[in-house]
Amino acid sequence: MAAEKIANRQLLFILFMMRTIFAIAFLPVLTTADALQDAWASAVISFFGAALLVAVIGGLGVRFPEQTVVQYSQKLLGRWAGKAVSLLPLGAFLFMAATDVRIYTEALTTLFLTETPLGFIIGTMVFAAALAAYAGIETIGRAADLFFPLFILMVFASLAMAVPQAWLLLHNLEPVLARGAGPVLRGAATPIAVISQYMVLTMLIPAVTEPKRALRTALGALVLSSALLLLITVFTVTVLGPHKGARSSYPFLSLVRSLQAGEFLERIEALAMFAWGFAHFVGLAVFLYCGARGLSQVLGLKSYRILIGPMAVIWVTLGVQGYRNEFQLRTLFQPGIAFPLAALGFILLPMSILWLGYGIRALVERFKPGGS
Amino acid sequence: MFKLLQKLLQRRKAHTDDDWRKNPDISMREAQAKEAKLEKGLEENLRLLQRYAGPSYDFSVRRFKAGGKVPAALVRLDGLTESKTIEEILRTLMVDSRLIKAPDQAGQIAAAAMEQLLTAPAVRESDNLADLFAGLTRGEAALIFDGTPLALMCDAKGFKTRTIIEPDAERALRGPREGFIENLRANTSLIRRRIRIPHLWIESLTVGELTQTEVAFAYIKGLAREKLVREVRERLRRIKIDGVLESGYVEDFIKDTSYSLFPLTFRTERADKVAAGLLEGRVAIFVDGTPHVLLVPAELPMLLQASDDYYEPPPIGSIIRLLRYTALLISLLLPGFYVAVINFHQELLPTALLLRITATREGVPFPVIFEVLLLDGLFEVLREAGVRLPAAIGPAISIVGALILGDAAIRAGLVSPAVVIVIALTAIASFTAPAFSLGISFRILRFAFTVIGAVFGLFGVQFLLLLTVVHLCSLRSFGVPYLTPFAPMIWRDMKDNLLRVWWWGMRDRPKLLGAREPQRTPPGQAPFAGKDPGEEGGKA
Repeated sequence: MAAEKIANRQLLFILFMMRTIFAIAFLPVLTTADALQDAWASAVISFFGAALLVAVIGGLGVRFPEQTVVQYSQKLLGRWAGKAVSLLPLGAFLFMAATDVRIYTEALTTLFLTETPLGFIIGTMVFAAALAAYAGIETIGRAADLFFPLFILMVFASLAMAVPQAWLLLHNLEPVLARGAGPVLRGAATPIAVISQYMVLTMLIPAVTEPKRALRTALGALVLSSALLLLITVFTVTVLGPHKGARSSYPFLSLVRSLQAGEFLERIEALAMFAWGFAHFVGLAVFLYCGARGLSQVLGLKSYRILIGPMAVIWVTLGVQGYRNEFQLRTLFQPGIAFPLAALGFILLPMSILWLGYGIRALVERFKPGGS
Repeated sequence: MFKLLQKLLQRRKAHTDDDWRKNPDISMREAQAKEAKLEKGLEENLRLLQRYAGPSYDFSVRRFKAGGKVPAALVRLDGLTESKTIEEILRTLMVDSRLIKAPDQAGQIAAAAMEQLLTAPAVRESDNLADLFAGLTRGEAALIFDGTPLALMCDAKGFKTRTIIEPDAERALRGPREGFIENLRANTSLIRRRIRIPHLWIESLTVGELTQTEVAFAYIKGLAREKLVREVRERLRRIKIDGVLESGYVEDFIKDTSYSLFPLTFRTERADKVAAGLLEGRVAIFVDGTPHVLLVPAELPMLLQASDDYYEPPPIGSIIRLLRYTALLISLLLPGFYVAVINFHQELLPTALLLRITATREGVPFPVIFEVLLLDGLFEVLREAGVRLPAAIGPAISIVGALILGDAAIRAGLVSPAVVIVIALTAIASFTAPAFSLGISFRILRFAFTVIGAVFGLFGVQFLLLLTVVHLCSLRSFGVPYLTPFAPMIWRDMKDNLLRVWWWGMRDRPKLLGAREPQRTPPGQAPFAGKDPGEEGGKA
């Protein structure tokens, strides 16, 4: 089972869906700060910021195409320090997956299953994801292949139906950039921070058929998902209006809910919810797989599979108990909290240590007598 | 105590020992037959044969004098041989043998008969009993001469088989009407006639200790991946079982996993489907005694293709194919969706429709889930009852079942018309699956979707859908992922899976199967490509 591989295309689909579901859920550019009608500019800026961070994350992985972060961190920093540092991203996976599943569950219970207990939904989603993770990364990759077209189709079908209304309400985008750069930058902070999801790259690069191109693949996924984010932002702001959009809990779902096609087709947000569910499942399975795989390498286990059961239980518990309510969850995504936590804590802290290790090593290699 | 036990054991052993001499068990008989060799004297040989064949009435022995001198016997199984051929053999040995210089020594008559006398197309020598009996069951006649420890086995086949007709379960509007029958040779000949190159290799082996069934697998040498062929050979060789009466026995042994509802081999009775599979680089497994041939590897999309798709013009074939995909999704999900929406998500329905459905449910005493399961179960019972009925009674069942029962159930207010519509639609849609084995797995899953939809709503449906997808994605058939080319996504193969393009555009074989010789149709054959169709006609 060591030779389990996914194609770069599958990696692209996985990363694309992981990032896009955040746009579907919170549309953070709009809801987390006061960018309002200039949220599209935040979306553009967040792309550049996120691209930079992806380069930081993936750049090191590409230099060790055969190894996961757990393995190359030990090579760079020595056995124990390496293991300690690699625990940081593994912990981040746990945290992000729990947050992810909680967001999905909150949306589902708010909009559809108002009386279903949180634990049930979280449990079933994690259970499905655990099965996929148990089956291996190949299975997850294939599921991503299968869900990606469906996901795109569902999202674009929803957007296509919004076109007539959006066209009439284009004036909602005005005035353009009237309040200076401040709100725009604040709006971009959280979307940039959410790129911490792409830390899974550090675990997935060795599992890709062309690991040297993995960074390019990740950036491709970022370009595509940012384009979709931009599109969703523009549609939401025009159709719902900047103020209503910023106030609503799930702007994209509100947008879809307000649509009506023909005389009889309405309330199609179930469609969007399905799309979200599929993509969410893929993301969750990847987090589980990466977490279990990484931990098994830290502990020196032969197979990661025995870890999946216990980890899934911890995940469910954390998903249920981690947040008291939706407001606490939302507070997390305030730029002032999300940015330091995710961008600095999850990405820059471990990655800078590793890069430092890499740099020192490179210098030592260069000046070592006899070393080329 | 211990001594007593020992005594008992000894007695038991003695008993079986004694029994074993007179009346050995089947495995012992088999082992003995395998080791028994023919002897020199004719009478001894005949006694030996008789001992194994017992009182079987079709075991026939004809004694005669070969060349007028040497005592000999012709042994055959009556009913498997052709009388005319037997007559011919006997005439040759009894009459014609006088024309040639009859060898005096007894031992030489066999060689002379083989080289100069017998005109049967296939004659071989046999010196042991197992081989001799195997020949007899294949329709050969054994010639035993006095003084020779050898038997000559002459081909004299002449048993009845069914004629080649169109298979009932796999009809096609357009395309060949030839279906397989129960005779292995006839079946492989149907393939030989379709693929006329020597590189169509057919290997055969015997499976089943007692039935000694011939199992053959065919592939195009140089096209099918060697690894695949090796794998098929290995898996077939590993089978140890007393009897193989249908390819289903073999299927169970060679599947990649037994724990799946989905068929991992493609079973067909149509010769053209098997030939098409071979051309794609697959391997076909024939089992003697059954018309059902297995094609491996089998992916899910392949099970959704009908042979009509390839014979009708492409736009029609493609549209029908898309229609079938849609119908199968309906057959899988519709009852689950209906139950989920009615139970939990009424707001998803337009108000007018919801009111209509609620109105028809007025007075129905059961919850929706019960209605749906009742009708769906009833339909399955009807289907199962109809499968084995003679054609004359079938319509009666469907009239009683569908018309009378359904109508009465609605009138009595036991079920609502909306549910009848949903189930009828689902039932019809489920029969669009070209492969029965796939249709049945979809139907079983449908019940699961219905129940989970009733209990957990659309979220439950999604959950089960995710589990199904994980399962399907993790399946492999002889190493090929089950959802190829959708997952893993192979764009090149979409030509033949999402759609069915023109034959001149079907450039490549399936990527994972036909990689050795990927090109199927050379490019540039589109009719009138780059030319004005009127031009040539104008010149002529």
